[in-house]
Amino acid sequence: MSTILILNIAWQISTLALITLGLAIVFGKLRIMNMAHGEFVMIGAYAPVITSSMGLPSWLQVPVCILTVALVALILERTIIRHLYGRMFDSLLATWGVAILLREIIELIFGRGYQSVNLPIPGTYTVFGTDYPAYRLVVIAGIILAFIALAWWNRRSKVATQIKAMVGNPELAQAIGINTSRLSAGAFVFGCTTAGLAGLILAPTIRIEPMMGLDYLVRSFFALVIGGLGTLEGLGVGTTIVAGTQSVVSAAFSQTAGYLAVLILSIFFLWLKPDGIRSSSR
Amino acid sequence: MAFVLLHVSLLAAALLSIPYFLGDFAAYQFGLYLIYGMAAQGIGFLWGKTGVLPLGQAMFFGVAAYAMGIALRDVDGLLVQLALGVAILLVIAGFAYILATLVFKGRSDSGPYFSLITLALAMIAEQLSGSFPNITGGFNGLSGFDSLAGLDPFGSFYYVIVAASVGVTFMLLVLDRLPVSLIAKAVNDNEPRMQLLGFPTHVIKGLAFAFSAAIAAIAGGLFASHQGIVTPTSTGFALSAELVILTAVGGRFHVFGPLLGAVFFGWAASEFRDSFAYWELLLAVVFIVVVLKAPGGLAELLKSAFNKILPHRTKANITTYTAPPARYARTSESLKFDDVYLQIGVVKILNGVDFETPKSGIVSIIGPNGAGKTTILNTITGNFSVSKGKIQLGTQEIQSRPSYGALSVGIGRKLQIPSVFFSMSVAENLSIAMMAGRARTLDYFKLSTLGWRGDGLTKILANPTVPLANNIEKAVQFLPQGHRQFLEFAMTVATDPSTLLLDEPCAGLSPQETMLMTELVKEFQDTTDGLVIIIEHDMSIVEAISDKVLVLHQGRVLAYASYREIKSDPAVQAVYAGDTK
Repeated sequence: MSTILILNIAWQISTLALITLGLAIVFGKLRIMNMAHGEFVMIGAYAPVITSSMGLPSWLQVPVCILTVALVALILERTIIRHLYGRMFDSLLATWGVAILLREIIELIFGRGYQSVNLPIPGTYTVFGTDYPAYRLVVIAGIILAFIALAWWNRRSKVATQIKAMVGNPELAQAIGINTSRLSAGAFVFGCTTAGLAGLILAPTIRIEPMMGLDYLVRSFFALVIGGLGTLEGLGVGTTIVAGTQSVVSAAFSQTAGYLAVLILSIFFLWLKPDGIRSSSR
Repeated sequence: MAFVLLHVSLLAAALLSIPYFLGDFAAYQFGLYLIYGMAAQGIGFLWGKTGVLPLGQAMFFGVAAYAMGIALRDVDGLLVQLALGVAILLVIAGFAYILATLVFKGRSDSGPYFSLITLALAMIAEQLSGSFPNITGGFNGLSGFDSLAGLDPFGSFYYVIVAASVGVTFMLLVLDRLPVSLIAKAVNDNEPRMQLLGFPTHVIKGLAFAFSAAIAAIAGGLFASHQGIVTPTSTGFALSAELVILTAVGGRFHVFGPLLGAVFFGWAASEFRDSFAYWELLLAVVFIVVVLKAPGGLAELLKSAFNKILPHRTKANITTYTAPPARYARTSESLKFDDVYLQIGVVKILNGVDFETPKSGIVSIIGPNGAGKTTILNTITGNFSVSKGKIQLGTQEIQSRPSYGALSVGIGRKLQIPSVFFSMSVAENLSIAMMAGRARTLDYFKLSTLGWRGDGLTKILANPTVPLANNIEKAVQFLPQGHRQFLEFAMTVATDPSTLLLDEPCAGLSPQETMLMTELVKEFQDTTDGLVIIIEHDMSIVEAISDKVLVLHQGRVLAYASYREIKSDPAVQAVYAGDTK
């Protein structure tokens, strides 16, 4: 394998892991089958478009992205999502409606056409004798560091346990002093904001348009299904399999083949191992 | 049935008057809405009854449309084209059936995962139909074919669509009143109970899915002929989503709901889409509100409004018919456990259980909490697969078979917490139980099947102290716990089992009700001379009814003898007195 393919795979895996992290919280922990997850990636990707259209300096992209996505997520959680805890099927349908809603709003504001933004870090680095975009290298390193920090925090923090308690038995969780409505809102907003940040990171490397979210939703969803819900390792395994398969098959055959390979793989997992690759029974 | 004919004639009259009042172009547009409505009705049947939500229905729609387009382009002769159409329909239905039965086999949930599989399949279909331009015309679509029989899509082809729409609606309305639809609803209501009643639920879901796929395929075939072009979007994600939205907003619990949704929103979209920029936004908001607040959709709202004006008529008395005999052997056999082990994860629940029951009589299972009592029943009915050992009924090995196979060897089971169909009336619950193990394919399509009664059930209903006959039209969700116990007992007895498994039938009953229940159990055993295995904590009941008592402790048989011998057994006394043995 060439160095460039390996680096491409690393880029695909790390960005997908960041997108999937948010869904792992929202679907894996809160049990909301968030069909609008990709739309948060999309809104995040529009943040640079917002700053450049308003003439703001480019370093404001990050706060604008976080604030916009978090605000949208908070409004949705307070009005719609909070009615859906414990109703997985309904959550799938309602968030589907939310996804359409968000796409339509973005389309009304920015139009249907493609947008593109400039790379914040131009140029290339030479890695193992190959030139590779510096921006991507920085992003890969950043995401790896962020996940290490997250794993360390996750081991020490009680929040994950509290969320588990809340989803398992909301009334009992309230009785032992967990502020469930704040906790669920916080978890939902956090999950959506990481997706938005992933969108911001991806923005310079893709074409930005209102319909772009679906692809990210599908891949992150299937990464979760394959890896199994609930653990950071599962998330790592799932994203590696999905992004790896797609990159390798795309490189070997075609873009379409890569896309189909992920879908077929996911169907087999949904069918035979709906609890993820590490579950023993079918 | 007169009601069905009235509804269908009203629909036909309304649809036929459209070209006359609104003109041919409106009829052309309505034709498209009716086609979508038809596909949505298929979704409504599947989703509203069995609870399975198909997210990739456009796959069937689109594949049929492509196939019909190719047939119209490359094949001459109307009859050959129609024959090809029917062949495509059968292939699609067959594929859907195999897909759903495979996915649902061995599970009693996983609804959302199945939905995602259908979604992924639709995405594959969309991608593939764009990837083979030689066959499908690629992303530009397949075109250049005539309409079916050369009928004008802007003229007479509308009547073909009306005929199909009315036909599908008629079929769905009839099905709605037949036992088969009760069976489909029961799967959604309480799947484990359906399996214990001997229904292979994955097959039922597979059939329902195939049926809805076939309706989608009919709609797809009409679509190709009507539009004259088929593009990859007809097979894909977006259309699948739209069909589900139309179904949900229109109302998935009613035959007319999805049709109403498709026609109303199709018409409204064509009126407002260009003049009102927020139309799509509005539609999304309406959809979200429906999911959150009005799961029954427009149809449910209209119906409740209608019922306020014209109060619902109370149903006439049920006409009863003598049911055919159950299909399994009526002679009871002895049940034998041979060194049975069961381990789930790291937990060892059964550690070498050995016993053999007499061929008939009442065997009580007692033992402290966690002794493995309910697990014993679970291994008999196949809800758990044993890790090691054999369970024999007579000479047949019955361990590790699926739970829907238990009734086919005559094993009926009442669960610890009453497991009945909560969304239905008592009468409907009993009807389903009477069909279990008796009904043959045709019986599911006869109204008289709903009134089936057998000896065992009739006797229970005739007993004036049993609180069922007076509540026969009541919804089960309004019955108190005790009444539910009797209902589940009656349902289990209705299946005429030769081996009856009862898990704490007296839990939550008043002293009088407890007496009644023990009488019923004894009476069942007396009249059928069958085998009854009962888990019970109340020693006075155990003493009163047991021929033999099986004492379980930590997954092993501690003692197995008559009540008197058990009572004086020092080992049993030690366990019950709290001695750590």
